[in-house]
Amino acid sequence: MRALRYAFVLTATAVLPLAGQRPLTVTGIQSLTFGTLIPGIPSAVSRTDAGKSGRFDVGGPHDAQGQVTFTLPSVLTGPAGATLPLLFSGSDAGYSQSQNIGSQIGFDPRQPFLITFSGQGRGSVFLGGTAQPAPTQRAGSYTGMITLNLTAFP
Amino acid sequence: MYTASKAALATLVLALGATAAVRAQGVNGSITATATVQSPIAVAGAQPLAFGNVFPGVVKTVAYSDPTGGRFDVTGQGNAGVTYSFNLPTNLTSLGNNLPIGSWTGYVNGANSTSGGLAITPSSTSASSTLSVGGTLYFFVGATVTPPANLPAGSYSGTVTLTVSY
Repeated sequence: MRALRYAFVLTATAVLPLAGQRPLTVTGIQSLTFGTLIPGIPSAVSRTDAGKSGRFDVGGPHDAQGQVTFTLPSVLTGPAGATLPLLFSGSDAGYSQSQNIGSQIGFDPRQPFLITFSGQGRGSVFLGGTAQPAPTQRAGSYTGMITLNLTAFP
Repeated sequence: MYTASKAALATLVLALGATAAVRAQGVNGSITATATVQSPIAVAGAQPLAFGNVFPGVVKTVAYSDPTGGRFDVTGQGNAGVTYSFNLPTNLTSLGNNLPIGSWTGYVNGANSTSGGLAITPSSTSASSTLSVGGTLYFFVGATVTPPANLPAGSYSGTVTLTVSY
């Protein structure tokens, strides 16, 4: 019986930290918008561009850490299956614990990045990138999907 | 006691399993990336500026609206603003002889017509215009040649270049 009681104590220890914790959340807030492009001329969007950068809001246990990874498209898809190459480089993503676009820590969106939620259990991830239309790029509207994956470590 | 130990062990395994499940938790969210690509600009020299026969010492003018006036056809994104400029020869040449050409005149229109548009003076200075709703723009060009009195006979030519960009 003593061993059984001990087992229950261990069980309680393992599960109790979940109680009352803010759940993990990722919300897509703003699309990454390159706007109007001219064939043959690359166009970059900065992660600090309030009107064009992509934005995700994340939530989790206050002051806890989580890991974010992106699933990034290599192209946008347009009319009749035409593709428009995208490029993401070393500092195209940024994390702001205060959810302020002017206060980011830059990181490489191609690599996992460790974040710390704010005291309120929040944060924001911003994303820029470069679109590279070919000189013969077909005219029209192009879209792609960007996914942010968040994993927490209690 | 033996049974109790087994139960305890099973519970511990379950507890560790629960812990592992906590470690594995993750969520995701998505946004879109969007772009709109304009139609590439194409410029075609549609009709040469042809003076026909000229005579030494006799000035000859071809108006942009004449049947032998030059014309460029431009296509691109409908309603898009563009800038344009010309590279104009100062002479037509033939075997090292020069036939001066100057006094350029021009007209720009969204339609293939020399009415309803805007008169321009072709030059190397950049100017602005707008493609039609259908994405067309037409440039008409005229000029004057001033053959010197001692101009050798021959066939004279030069190149007029129009550059258009968004």
